[in-house]
Amino acid sequence: MYDDAQDALAAEYVLGTLSADEREHAEALLTLDPGFAASVRMWERRLGELNVMVEAVEPPPELWDKIVAEFGAVEPSSEAPPAAPVLATAEPPVETPPETPPAESPPLIMADEPGTDSIPIPPPPVGELPEAVSDSIAASLAKSLAEPAEERTERVTAPPVVPPDVESKFESKDEYKLERSANVVQLARGVSRWRRMTVVMGAIAALLALYIGLAQFAPGLVPLGPRTQVVAQAPGPAQLGARLVAVLQQEPTAPAFLLTVDPQSRTLVVRRVSATPEAGRSYELWLISSQFPAPKSLGVVGNDEFTQRPIPGNFDVATLRAASYAVSLEPSGGSPSGVPTGPVLFTGKIVESVPTAAPAPRT
Amino acid sequence: MLMQAELVWLVGAVAKGDTAAFERLYGATRAKLYGVLLRILGKPELAEEVMQETYLKVWTMADKFDPTLASPITWMVAMARNRAIDIVRKRGEISIEDEPEAQNVAAETPAPLARREMTEELKRLLSCLGKLDPEKQRIVLLAYYSGWSREQLSTKLDIPVNTIKTWLRRSLLEIRECMGH
Repeated sequence: MYDDAQDALAAEYVLGTLSADEREHAEALLTLDPGFAASVRMWERRLGELNVMVEAVEPPPELWDKIVAEFGAVEPSSEAPPAAPVLATAEPPVETPPETPPAESPPLIMADEPGTDSIPIPPPPVGELPEAVSDSIAASLAKSLAEPAEERTERVTAPPVVPPDVESKFESKDEYKLERSANVVQLARGVSRWRRMTVVMGAIAALLALYIGLAQFAPGLVPLGPRTQVVAQAPGPAQLGARLVAVLQQEPTAPAFLLTVDPQSRTLVVRRVSATPEAGRSYELWLISSQFPAPKSLGVVGNDEFTQRPIPGNFDVATLRAASYAVSLEPSGGSPSGVPTGPVLFTGKIVESVPTAAPAPRT
Repeated sequence: MLMQAELVWLVGAVAKGDTAAFERLYGATRAKLYGVLLRILGKPELAEEVMQETYLKVWTMADKFDPTLASPITWMVAMARNRAIDIVRKRGEISIEDEPEAQNVAAETPAPLARREMTEELKRLLSCLGKLDPEKQRIVLLAYYSGWSREQLSTKLDIPVNTIKTWLRRSLLEIRECMGH
Protein backbone atom coordinates (compact mmCIF):
# COMPACT_ATOMS: atom_id res chain seq x y z
CA MET A 1 0.00 0.00 0.00
CA TYR A 2 1.00 3.54 -0.64
CA ASP A 3 2.69 5.37 2.21
CA ASP A 4 0.27 5.62 5.14
CA ALA A 5 0.62 9.33 5.76
CA GLN A 6 -0.03 10.09 2.12
CA ASP A 7 -2.87 7.62 1.99
CA ALA A 8 -4.47 9.20 5.04
CA LEU A 9 -4.15 12.56 3.36
CA ALA A 10 -5.91 11.11 0.32
CA ALA A 11 -8.59 9.64 2.57
CA GLU A 12 -9.20 12.90 4.35
CA TYR A 13 -9.23 14.73 1.06
CA VAL A 14 -12.01 12.47 -0.12
CA LEU A 15 -13.82 12.59 3.20
CA GLY A 16 -13.58 16.37 3.09
CA THR A 17 -12.06 17.10 6.49
CA LEU A 18 -8.97 18.94 5.24
CA SER A 19 -8.63 22.69 5.58
CA ALA A 20 -8.55 24.88 2.48
CA ASP A 21 -4.74 24.93 2.47
CA GLU A 22 -4.43 21.22 2.92
CA ARG A 23 -6.92 20.67 0.14
CA GLU A 24 -4.84 22.83 -2.13
CA HIS A 25 -1.81 20.81 -1.26
CA ALA A 26 -3.68 17.58 -1.92
CA GLU A 27 -4.86 18.90 -5.27
CA ALA A 28 -1.30 19.73 -6.25
CA LEU A 29 -0.22 16.23 -5.31
CA LEU A 30 -3.12 14.87 -7.29
CA THR A 31 -1.75 16.41 -10.45
CA LEU A 32 1.85 15.51 -9.83
CA ASP A 33 1.86 12.17 -8.14
CA PRO A 34 0.18 9.21 -9.81
CA GLY A 35 0.44 7.23 -6.60
CA PHE A 36 -1.47 9.85 -4.72
CA ALA A 37 -4.04 10.08 -7.49
CA ALA A 38 -4.55 6.32 -7.29
CA SER A 39 -4.98 6.64 -3.55
CA VAL A 40 -7.67 9.26 -4.00
CA ARG A 41 -9.53 7.10 -6.52
CA MET A 42 -9.43 4.20 -4.12
CA TRP A 43 -10.83 6.29 -1.33
CA GLU A 44 -13.56 7.67 -3.55
CA ARG A 45 -14.47 4.10 -4.22
CA ARG A 46 -14.28 3.03 -0.60
CA LEU A 47 -16.26 5.90 0.87
CA GLY A 48 -18.38 6.80 -2.12
CA GLU A 49 -21.05 4.27 -1.34
CA LEU A 50 -22.02 6.25 1.74
CA ASN A 51 -24.06 8.47 -0.54
CA VAL A 52 -26.64 5.70 -0.67
CA MET A 53 -27.57 6.64 2.85
CA VAL A 54 -28.03 10.32 2.19
CA GLU A 55 -31.63 11.24 1.87
CA ALA A 56 -32.59 12.43 -1.57
CA VAL A 57 -34.12 15.87 -1.84
CA GLU A 58 -35.96 17.03 -4.91
CA PRO A 59 -34.32 20.19 -6.32
CA PRO A 60 -36.51 23.03 -7.58
CA PRO A 61 -37.95 22.22 -11.02
CA GLU A 62 -36.47 25.32 -12.63
CA LEU A 63 -32.96 24.06 -11.94
CA TRP A 64 -33.01 21.98 -15.08
CA ASP A 65 -33.71 25.07 -17.18
CA LYS A 66 -30.74 26.79 -15.64
CA ILE A 67 -28.52 23.84 -16.45
CA VAL A 68 -29.79 23.75 -20.00
CA ALA A 69 -29.21 27.48 -20.31
CA GLU A 70 -25.52 26.99 -19.53
CA PHE A 71 -25.00 24.78 -22.51
CA GLY A 72 -24.54 27.74 -24.77
CA ALA A 73 -21.18 28.23 -23.13
CA VAL A 74 -19.84 24.72 -23.18
CA GLU A 75 -20.43 22.39 -26.06
CA PRO A 76 -17.81 19.71 -26.02
CA SER A 77 -19.22 17.30 -28.52
CA SER A 78 -19.20 18.97 -31.87
CA GLU A 79 -21.71 16.57 -33.33
CA ALA A 80 -24.15 17.11 -30.55
CA PRO A 81 -26.89 19.65 -31.08
CA PRO A 82 -27.28 22.21 -28.35
CA ALA A 83 -29.57 20.92 -25.70
CA ALA A 84 -33.06 22.17 -26.22
CA PRO A 85 -34.64 23.73 -23.22
CA VAL A 86 -37.03 21.27 -21.73
CA LEU A 87 -39.67 22.77 -19.58
CA ALA A 88 -41.41 19.71 -18.38
CA THR A 89 -39.48 17.21 -16.40
CA ALA A 90 -39.30 14.06 -18.38
CA GLU A 91 -39.23 11.71 -15.46
CA PRO A 92 -40.61 11.59 -12.02
CA PRO A 93 -37.92 11.77 -9.38
CA VAL A 94 -36.36 8.42 -9.13
CA GLU A 95 -35.34 8.87 -5.58
CA THR A 96 -37.87 10.41 -3.31
CA PRO A 97 -37.19 11.79 0.12
CA PRO A 98 -38.16 9.40 2.82
CA GLU A 99 -41.41 10.16 4.54
CA THR A 100 -40.05 9.67 7.98
CA PRO A 101 -37.76 12.20 9.54
CA PRO A 102 -34.26 11.07 10.37
CA ALA A 103 -34.12 9.15 13.57
CA GLU A 104 -32.76 10.88 16.61
CA SER A 105 -29.82 8.59 16.89
CA PRO A 106 -30.08 6.32 13.94
CA PRO A 107 -28.16 3.13 14.13
CA LEU A 108 -25.48 2.73 11.57
CA ILE A 109 -26.65 -0.73 10.78
CA MET A 110 -30.27 -1.70 10.68
CA ALA A 111 -31.39 -3.11 13.95
CA ASP A 112 -33.46 -5.75 12.24
CA GLU A 113 -30.50 -6.96 10.29
CA PRO A 114 -28.23 -8.65 12.70
CA GLY A 115 -26.49 -10.28 9.79
CA THR A 116 -25.11 -6.97 8.60
CA ASP A 117 -23.99 -6.02 11.99
CA SER A 118 -20.62 -6.85 13.25
CA ILE A 119 -19.33 -7.01 16.72
CA PRO A 120 -17.96 -3.57 17.45
CA ILE A 121 -14.43 -3.82 18.66
CA PRO A 122 -13.82 -0.74 20.73
CA PRO A 123 -10.45 0.67 19.81
CA PRO A 124 -8.20 1.63 22.67
CA PRO A 125 -9.01 4.93 24.31
CA VAL A 126 -7.13 7.84 22.87
CA GLY A 127 -4.73 8.06 25.77
CA GLU A 128 -3.61 4.55 25.04
CA LEU A 129 -2.95 5.01 21.36
CA PRO A 130 0.53 3.87 20.60
CA GLU A 131 2.49 7.05 20.88
CA ALA A 132 4.69 6.20 17.97
CA VAL A 133 1.77 5.79 15.64
CA SER A 134 -0.08 8.96 16.43
CA ASP A 135 3.15 10.90 16.59
CA SER A 136 4.39 9.70 13.28
CA ILE A 137 1.08 10.55 11.65
CA ALA A 138 1.06 13.96 13.21
CA ALA A 139 4.63 14.46 12.17
CA SER A 140 4.03 13.45 8.61
CA LEU A 141 1.01 15.65 8.43
CA ALA A 142 2.99 18.54 9.77
CA LYS A 143 5.59 17.76 7.17
CA SER A 144 3.16 17.53 4.36
CA LEU A 145 1.64 20.78 5.46
CA ALA A 146 4.90 22.57 5.83
CA GLU A 147 6.12 21.50 2.45
CA PRO A 148 4.15 23.49 -0.06
CA ALA A 149 4.11 26.84 1.69
CA GLU A 150 6.16 28.43 -1.02
CA GLU A 151 4.30 26.70 -3.75
CA ARG A 152 1.04 27.85 -2.32
CA THR A 153 2.13 31.42 -2.25
CA GLU A 154 3.34 31.03 -5.75
CA ARG A 155 0.07 29.68 -6.94
CA VAL A 156 -1.76 32.58 -5.44
CA THR A 157 0.46 35.28 -6.80
CA ALA A 158 1.46 34.05 -10.20
CA PRO A 159 -0.79 34.62 -13.15
CA PRO A 160 -2.42 31.56 -14.56
CA VAL A 161 -1.69 30.57 -18.08
CA VAL A 162 -4.94 31.33 -19.72
CA PRO A 163 -5.23 30.42 -23.33
CA PRO A 164 -7.21 33.31 -24.75
CA ASP A 165 -9.61 31.05 -26.54
CA VAL A 166 -10.38 29.22 -23.35
CA GLU A 167 -11.05 32.28 -21.37
CA SER A 168 -13.37 33.82 -23.87
CA LYS A 169 -15.39 30.66 -24.06
CA PHE A 170 -16.72 31.25 -20.63
CA GLU A 171 -18.98 34.01 -19.63
CA SER A 172 -17.82 34.28 -16.09
CA LYS A 173 -14.74 33.57 -14.08
CA ASP A 174 -16.65 30.94 -12.23
CA GLU A 175 -17.35 29.00 -15.33
CA TYR A 176 -13.77 29.25 -16.23
CA LYS A 177 -12.74 28.04 -12.81
CA LEU A 178 -15.10 25.18 -13.18
CA GLU A 179 -13.52 24.21 -16.43
CA ARG A 180 -10.12 24.51 -14.87
CA SER A 181 -11.02 22.29 -12.03
CA ALA A 182 -12.38 19.91 -14.59
CA ASN A 183 -8.97 20.01 -16.19
CA VAL A 184 -7.38 19.05 -12.97
CA VAL A 185 -9.65 16.10 -12.56
CA GLN A 186 -9.10 15.20 -16.16
CA LEU A 187 -5.43 15.35 -15.60
CA ALA A 188 -5.61 13.17 -12.58
CA ARG A 189 -7.59 10.70 -14.61
CA GLY A 190 -5.16 11.00 -17.44
CA VAL A 191 -2.27 10.21 -15.20
CA SER A 192 -3.95 7.08 -14.02
CA ARG A 193 -5.23 5.99 -17.38
CA TRP A 194 -2.53 3.38 -17.80
CA ARG A 195 -3.96 1.55 -14.88
CA ARG A 196 -7.37 1.22 -16.32
CA MET A 197 -5.95 -0.02 -19.54
CA THR A 198 -3.56 -2.53 -18.19
CA VAL A 199 -4.22 -3.69 -14.70
CA VAL A 200 -7.05 -4.33 -12.32
CA MET A 201 -7.19 -2.46 -9.08
CA GLY A 202 -5.77 -5.30 -7.07
CA ALA A 203 -2.67 -5.34 -9.15
CA ILE A 204 -2.13 -1.66 -8.49
CA ALA A 205 -1.78 -2.26 -4.82
CA ALA A 206 0.81 -4.88 -5.61
CA LEU A 207 2.67 -2.53 -7.89
CA LEU A 208 2.59 0.20 -5.34
CA ALA A 209 3.74 -2.15 -2.65
CA LEU A 210 6.60 -3.13 -4.89
CA TYR A 211 7.36 0.50 -5.40
CA ILE A 212 7.31 1.27 -1.72
CA GLY A 213 9.41 -1.80 -1.14
CA LEU A 214 11.89 -0.53 -3.65
CA ALA A 215 11.94 2.78 -1.90
CA GLN A 216 12.77 1.09 1.34
CA PHE A 217 15.46 -1.16 0.11
CA ALA A 218 17.00 1.11 -2.44
CA PRO A 219 16.15 4.59 -1.29
CA GLY A 220 18.60 6.12 -3.70
CA LEU A 221 16.72 4.56 -6.55
CA VAL A 222 13.30 5.80 -5.62
CA PRO A 223 13.70 8.89 -3.52
CA LEU A 224 10.02 9.61 -3.35
CA GLY A 225 9.87 9.59 0.41
CA PRO A 226 12.08 12.60 1.10
CA ARG A 227 9.90 14.76 -1.10
CA THR A 228 9.26 17.18 1.70
CA GLN A 229 12.85 17.86 2.61
CA VAL A 230 13.79 18.19 -0.98
CA VAL A 231 11.27 20.87 -1.73
CA ALA A 232 12.15 22.73 1.40
CA GLN A 233 15.84 22.96 0.72
CA ALA A 234 16.13 23.19 -3.00
CA PRO A 235 15.65 26.22 -5.17
CA GLY A 236 13.09 24.29 -7.09
CA PRO A 237 9.81 24.89 -8.84
CA ALA A 238 8.51 26.84 -5.89
CA GLN A 239 10.27 29.86 -7.24
CA LEU A 240 8.63 29.60 -10.58
CA GLY A 241 5.25 30.25 -11.97
CA ALA A 242 4.98 26.52 -12.27
CA ARG A 243 2.11 26.12 -14.62
CA LEU A 244 2.95 23.41 -17.09
CA VAL A 245 4.09 20.12 -15.78
CA ALA A 246 5.16 16.88 -17.39
CA VAL A 247 5.89 13.65 -15.62
CA LEU A 248 8.59 11.86 -17.53
CA GLN A 249 8.51 8.22 -16.84
CA GLN A 250 9.15 4.81 -18.16
CA GLU A 251 7.09 2.86 -15.73
CA PRO A 252 3.85 4.25 -14.46
CA THR A 253 4.63 3.76 -10.81
CA ALA A 254 7.96 5.48 -11.01
CA PRO A 255 8.14 8.94 -12.43
CA ALA A 256 11.78 9.57 -13.23
CA PHE A 257 11.67 13.28 -13.82
CA LEU A 258 9.17 16.01 -13.23
CA LEU A 259 9.42 18.73 -15.79
CA THR A 260 7.93 22.10 -15.02
CA VAL A 261 7.68 24.76 -17.69
CA ASP A 262 6.92 28.37 -16.97
CA PRO A 263 6.04 30.06 -20.23
CA GLN A 264 6.06 33.52 -18.64
CA SER A 265 9.63 33.50 -17.53
CA ARG A 266 10.56 30.97 -20.22
CA THR A 267 12.17 28.82 -17.63
CA LEU A 268 12.14 25.11 -17.17
CA VAL A 269 12.86 23.05 -14.12
CA VAL A 270 13.64 19.40 -14.22
CA ARG A 271 13.34 17.60 -10.98
CA ARG A 272 15.05 14.27 -10.76
CA VAL A 273 12.74 11.90 -8.98
CA SER A 274 13.94 8.39 -9.42
CA ALA A 275 16.48 8.52 -12.22
CA THR A 276 19.94 7.75 -10.97
CA PRO A 277 22.89 9.45 -12.58
CA GLU A 278 24.99 7.12 -14.65
CA ALA A 279 28.72 7.50 -14.57
CA GLY A 280 30.13 8.97 -17.74
CA ARG A 281 26.74 9.58 -19.27
CA SER A 282 24.24 12.39 -19.25
CA TYR A 283 20.51 12.61 -19.40
CA GLU A 284 19.36 14.97 -22.10
CA LEU A 285 15.93 16.54 -22.31
CA TRP A 286 14.14 16.76 -25.65
CA LEU A 287 11.12 18.52 -26.98
CA ILE A 288 9.20 16.53 -29.55
CA SER A 289 6.73 18.48 -31.62
CA SER A 290 4.92 17.86 -34.86
CA GLN A 291 6.27 21.23 -35.92
CA PHE A 292 9.79 19.94 -36.12
CA PRO A 293 11.07 16.98 -38.06
CA ALA A 294 13.45 16.02 -35.24
CA PRO A 295 13.48 16.39 -31.46
CA LYS A 296 14.84 19.68 -30.19
CA SER A 297 17.33 19.52 -27.39
CA LEU A 298 16.43 21.37 -24.22
CA GLY A 299 19.80 20.64 -22.76
CA VAL A 300 21.46 18.20 -20.47
CA VAL A 301 19.86 17.44 -17.14
CA GLY A 302 22.24 18.25 -14.30
CA ASN A 303 23.18 15.84 -11.57
CA ASP A 304 21.46 17.79 -8.84
CA GLU A 305 17.97 17.28 -7.64
CA PHE A 306 16.80 20.25 -9.66
CA THR A 307 17.99 21.61 -12.94
CA GLN A 308 16.67 25.05 -13.69
CA ARG A 309 17.41 26.97 -16.83
CA PRO A 310 15.94 29.24 -19.46
CA ILE A 311 14.13 27.38 -22.20
CA PRO A 312 16.47 27.34 -25.17
CA GLY A 313 15.12 28.13 -28.60
CA ASN A 314 12.16 30.25 -29.42
CA PHE A 315 9.21 27.94 -28.90
CA ASP A 316 5.88 29.60 -28.42
CA VAL A 317 3.53 28.66 -25.62
CA ALA A 318 1.29 26.60 -27.85
CA THR A 319 4.24 24.54 -28.98
CA LEU A 320 5.47 24.05 -25.46
CA ARG A 321 2.02 23.00 -24.42
CA ALA A 322 1.40 20.57 -27.22
CA ALA A 323 4.81 18.97 -27.27
CA SER A 324 5.91 15.68 -25.85
CA TYR A 325 9.02 15.60 -23.76
CA ALA A 326 11.60 12.88 -23.54
CA VAL A 327 14.82 12.13 -21.80
CA SER A 328 17.51 10.10 -23.48
CA LEU A 329 20.73 8.73 -22.14
CA GLU A 330 23.62 10.35 -23.98
CA PRO A 331 27.37 10.48 -23.76
CA SER A 332 28.61 12.78 -21.02
CA GLY A 333 27.81 16.36 -21.90
CA GLY A 334 24.96 15.52 -24.23
CA SER A 335 24.36 14.27 -27.71
CA PRO A 336 27.22 15.19 -30.02
CA SER A 337 24.97 15.40 -33.04
CA GLY A 338 22.05 17.45 -31.74
CA VAL A 339 19.61 14.58 -32.04
CA PRO A 340 19.10 11.78 -29.55
CA THR A 341 21.72 9.08 -29.99
CA GLY A 342 21.13 7.01 -26.90
CA PRO A 343 18.02 5.21 -25.78
CA VAL A 344 14.99 7.34 -24.99
CA LEU A 345 14.30 6.32 -21.46
CA PHE A 346 11.50 8.53 -20.29
CA THR A 347 8.69 10.35 -22.01
CA GLY A 348 5.71 12.42 -21.01
CA LYS A 349 3.18 14.96 -22.16
CA ILE A 350 2.79 18.32 -20.59
CA VAL A 351 -0.28 19.13 -18.60
CA GLU A 352 -1.53 22.28 -17.06
CA SER A 353 -0.74 22.45 -13.42
CA VAL A 354 -2.92 23.56 -10.57
CA PRO A 355 -4.66 26.79 -11.46
CA THR A 356 -3.82 29.93 -9.61
CA ALA A 357 -6.44 31.55 -7.48
CA ALA A 358 -5.92 35.17 -8.39
CA PRO A 359 -3.99 36.54 -11.31
CA ALA A 360 -1.37 39.05 -10.29
CA PRO A 361 1.38 40.64 -12.30
CA ARG A 362 4.75 39.03 -12.07
CA THR A 363 7.88 41.03 -12.00
CA MET B 1 -34.06 3.57 -8.90
CA LEU B 2 -32.68 2.98 -12.31
CA MET B 3 -30.50 -0.04 -12.57
CA GLN B 4 -26.85 0.73 -12.34
CA ALA B 5 -26.29 -0.69 -15.80
CA GLU B 6 -28.81 1.75 -17.16
CA LEU B 7 -27.05 4.66 -15.54
CA VAL B 8 -23.76 3.51 -17.02
CA TRP B 9 -25.41 3.33 -20.40
CA LEU B 10 -26.80 6.83 -19.96
CA VAL B 11 -23.40 8.26 -19.10
CA GLY B 12 -22.02 6.56 -22.20
CA ALA B 13 -24.71 8.16 -24.30
CA VAL B 14 -24.05 11.54 -22.69
CA ALA B 15 -20.41 11.17 -23.66
CA LYS B 16 -21.58 11.00 -27.26
CA GLY B 17 -23.54 14.20 -26.83
CA ASP B 18 -26.97 12.64 -26.39
CA THR B 19 -29.00 15.38 -24.72
CA ALA B 20 -32.02 13.18 -24.12
CA ALA B 21 -29.83 10.76 -22.21
CA PHE B 22 -28.44 13.68 -20.27
CA GLU B 23 -31.90 14.69 -19.24
CA ARG B 24 -32.73 11.18 -18.15
CA LEU B 25 -29.50 11.01 -16.21
CA TYR B 26 -30.41 14.26 -14.54
CA GLY B 27 -33.85 12.93 -13.70
CA ALA B 28 -32.37 9.79 -12.21
CA THR B 29 -29.67 11.45 -10.12
CA ARG B 30 -30.76 15.00 -9.30
CA ALA B 31 -32.50 14.27 -6.00
CA LYS B 32 -29.55 12.31 -4.66
CA LEU B 33 -27.03 14.98 -5.66
CA TYR B 34 -29.19 17.78 -4.36
CA GLY B 35 -29.67 15.96 -1.07
CA VAL B 36 -25.92 15.53 -0.67
CA LEU B 37 -25.21 19.15 -1.55
CA LEU B 38 -27.95 20.63 0.58
CA ARG B 39 -26.68 18.76 3.59
CA ILE B 40 -23.18 20.11 3.12
CA LEU B 41 -23.91 23.60 1.88
CA GLY B 42 -27.04 24.30 3.89
CA LYS B 43 -28.26 26.99 1.55
CA PRO B 44 -30.48 26.04 -1.40
CA GLU B 45 -28.99 28.80 -3.62
CA LEU B 46 -25.52 27.41 -3.12
CA ALA B 47 -26.65 23.85 -3.60
CA GLU B 48 -28.31 24.82 -6.88
CA GLU B 49 -25.20 26.56 -8.03
CA VAL B 50 -23.09 23.50 -7.43
CA MET B 51 -25.75 21.34 -9.07
CA GLN B 52 -25.33 23.41 -12.21
CA GLU B 53 -21.58 23.14 -12.10
CA THR B 54 -21.68 19.45 -11.45
CA TYR B 55 -24.03 18.60 -14.27
CA LEU B 56 -22.04 20.77 -16.61
CA LYS B 57 -18.98 18.83 -15.58
CA VAL B 58 -20.82 15.57 -16.06
CA TRP B 59 -21.67 16.70 -19.57
CA THR B 60 -18.12 17.70 -20.44
CA MET B 61 -16.44 14.79 -18.72
CA ALA B 62 -18.78 11.92 -19.42
CA ASP B 63 -16.24 10.43 -21.78
CA LYS B 64 -13.77 10.20 -18.91
CA PHE B 65 -16.12 8.15 -16.80
CA ASP B 66 -14.86 4.66 -16.17
CA PRO B 67 -17.51 2.24 -14.91
CA THR B 68 -14.84 -0.12 -13.63
CA LEU B 69 -13.69 2.51 -11.13
CA ALA B 70 -16.97 3.80 -9.79
CA SER B 71 -20.70 3.67 -10.29
CA PRO B 72 -22.14 6.69 -12.10
CA ILE B 73 -23.83 7.95 -8.96
CA THR B 74 -20.66 7.59 -6.91
CA TRP B 75 -18.72 9.43 -9.58
CA MET B 76 -21.22 12.25 -9.73
CA VAL B 77 -21.59 12.54 -5.98
CA ALA B 78 -17.80 12.62 -5.59
CA MET B 79 -17.57 15.56 -8.01
CA ALA B 80 -20.42 17.39 -6.35
CA ARG B 81 -19.14 16.84 -2.82
CA ASN B 82 -15.64 17.84 -3.78
CA ARG B 83 -16.84 21.13 -5.17
CA ALA B 84 -19.17 21.75 -2.23
CA ILE B 85 -16.38 21.16 0.26
CA ASP B 86 -14.09 23.49 -1.67
CA ILE B 87 -16.75 26.15 -1.33
CA VAL B 88 -17.37 25.71 2.37
CA ARG B 89 -13.66 25.60 3.14
CA LYS B 90 -12.88 28.67 1.11
CA ARG B 91 -15.65 30.83 2.44
CA GLY B 92 -14.38 30.10 5.93
CA GLU B 93 -15.51 27.98 8.76
CA ILE B 94 -17.52 30.62 10.61
CA SER B 95 -20.42 30.74 8.18
CA ILE B 96 -21.63 27.41 9.43
CA GLU B 97 -22.91 29.38 12.36
CA ASP B 98 -25.52 31.06 10.19
CA GLU B 99 -26.91 27.70 9.28
CA PRO B 100 -28.81 26.45 12.25
CA GLU B 101 -29.88 23.32 10.45
CA ALA B 102 -26.29 22.32 9.98
CA GLN B 103 -25.75 22.56 13.68
CA ASN B 104 -28.39 20.09 14.46
CA VAL B 105 -26.23 17.18 15.41
CA ALA B 106 -29.26 15.07 16.18
CA ALA B 107 -30.26 15.03 12.54
CA GLU B 108 -26.74 14.35 11.42
CA THR B 109 -27.03 10.84 10.17
CA PRO B 110 -29.51 9.87 7.52
CA ALA B 111 -32.22 7.41 8.20
CA PRO B 112 -31.23 3.80 7.91
CA LEU B 113 -32.24 2.20 4.71
CA ALA B 114 -33.64 -1.11 3.81
CA ARG B 115 -31.17 -3.83 3.24
CA ARG B 116 -32.22 -4.38 -0.33
CA GLU B 117 -31.03 -0.89 -1.18
CA MET B 118 -27.57 -1.70 0.01
CA THR B 119 -24.95 -2.59 -2.50
CA GLU B 120 -22.35 -5.17 -1.61
CA GLU B 121 -19.75 -2.44 -1.40
CA LEU B 122 -21.88 -0.49 1.02
CA LYS B 123 -22.47 -3.48 3.22
CA ARG B 124 -18.77 -4.10 3.36
CA LEU B 125 -18.05 -0.48 4.19
CA LEU B 126 -20.71 -0.41 6.87
CA SER B 127 -19.52 -3.56 8.52
CA CYS B 128 -16.03 -2.05 8.64
CA LEU B 129 -17.38 1.21 10.00
CA GLY B 130 -19.29 -0.83 12.55
CA LYS B 131 -16.04 -2.12 13.94
CA LEU B 132 -14.98 1.37 14.91
CA ASP B 133 -16.09 2.58 18.26
CA PRO B 134 -19.33 4.59 18.10
CA GLU B 135 -17.74 7.94 18.61
CA LYS B 136 -15.35 7.36 15.74
CA GLN B 137 -18.12 6.09 13.50
CA ARG B 138 -19.86 9.30 14.28
CA ILE B 139 -17.05 11.60 13.27
CA VAL B 140 -16.44 9.75 10.02
CA LEU B 141 -20.12 9.84 9.13
CA LEU B 142 -20.55 13.44 10.22
CA ALA B 143 -17.59 14.43 8.13
CA TYR B 144 -19.02 12.65 5.12
CA TYR B 145 -22.60 13.78 5.42
CA SER B 146 -22.11 17.28 6.69
CA GLY B 147 -18.82 18.05 5.03
CA TRP B 148 -17.32 19.24 8.27
CA SER B 149 -13.65 19.95 8.68
CA ARG B 150 -11.64 18.70 11.63
CA GLU B 151 -12.05 22.08 13.27
CA GLN B 152 -15.80 21.99 12.86
CA LEU B 153 -15.99 18.44 14.17
CA SER B 154 -13.92 19.57 17.11
CA THR B 155 -16.22 22.49 17.87
CA LYS B 156 -19.47 20.62 17.36
CA LEU B 157 -18.50 17.58 19.32
CA ASP B 158 -16.37 19.36 21.86
CA ILE B 159 -13.39 17.15 21.26
CA PRO B 160 -9.88 18.61 20.91
CA VAL B 161 -8.93 19.04 17.30
CA ASN B 162 -5.80 16.96 17.69
CA THR B 163 -7.89 14.10 18.95
CA ILE B 164 -10.21 14.47 15.98
CA LYS B 165 -7.22 14.44 13.69
CA THR B 166 -5.82 11.30 15.26
CA TRP B 167 -9.17 9.54 15.34
CA LEU B 168 -9.94 10.37 11.75
CA ARG B 169 -6.65 9.09 10.47
CA ARG B 170 -6.71 5.97 12.56
CA SER B 171 -10.31 5.28 11.66
CA LEU B 172 -9.69 5.73 7.97
CA LEU B 173 -6.67 3.49 7.97
CA GLU B 174 -8.61 0.89 9.94
CA ILE B 175 -11.38 1.07 7.36
CA ARG B 176 -8.80 0.56 4.67
CA GLU B 177 -7.36 -2.51 6.37
CA CYS B 178 -10.80 -3.88 7.07
CA MET B 179 -11.96 -3.43 3.49
CA GLY B 180 -8.99 -5.41 2.41
CA HIS B 181 -7.27 -3.17 -0.09
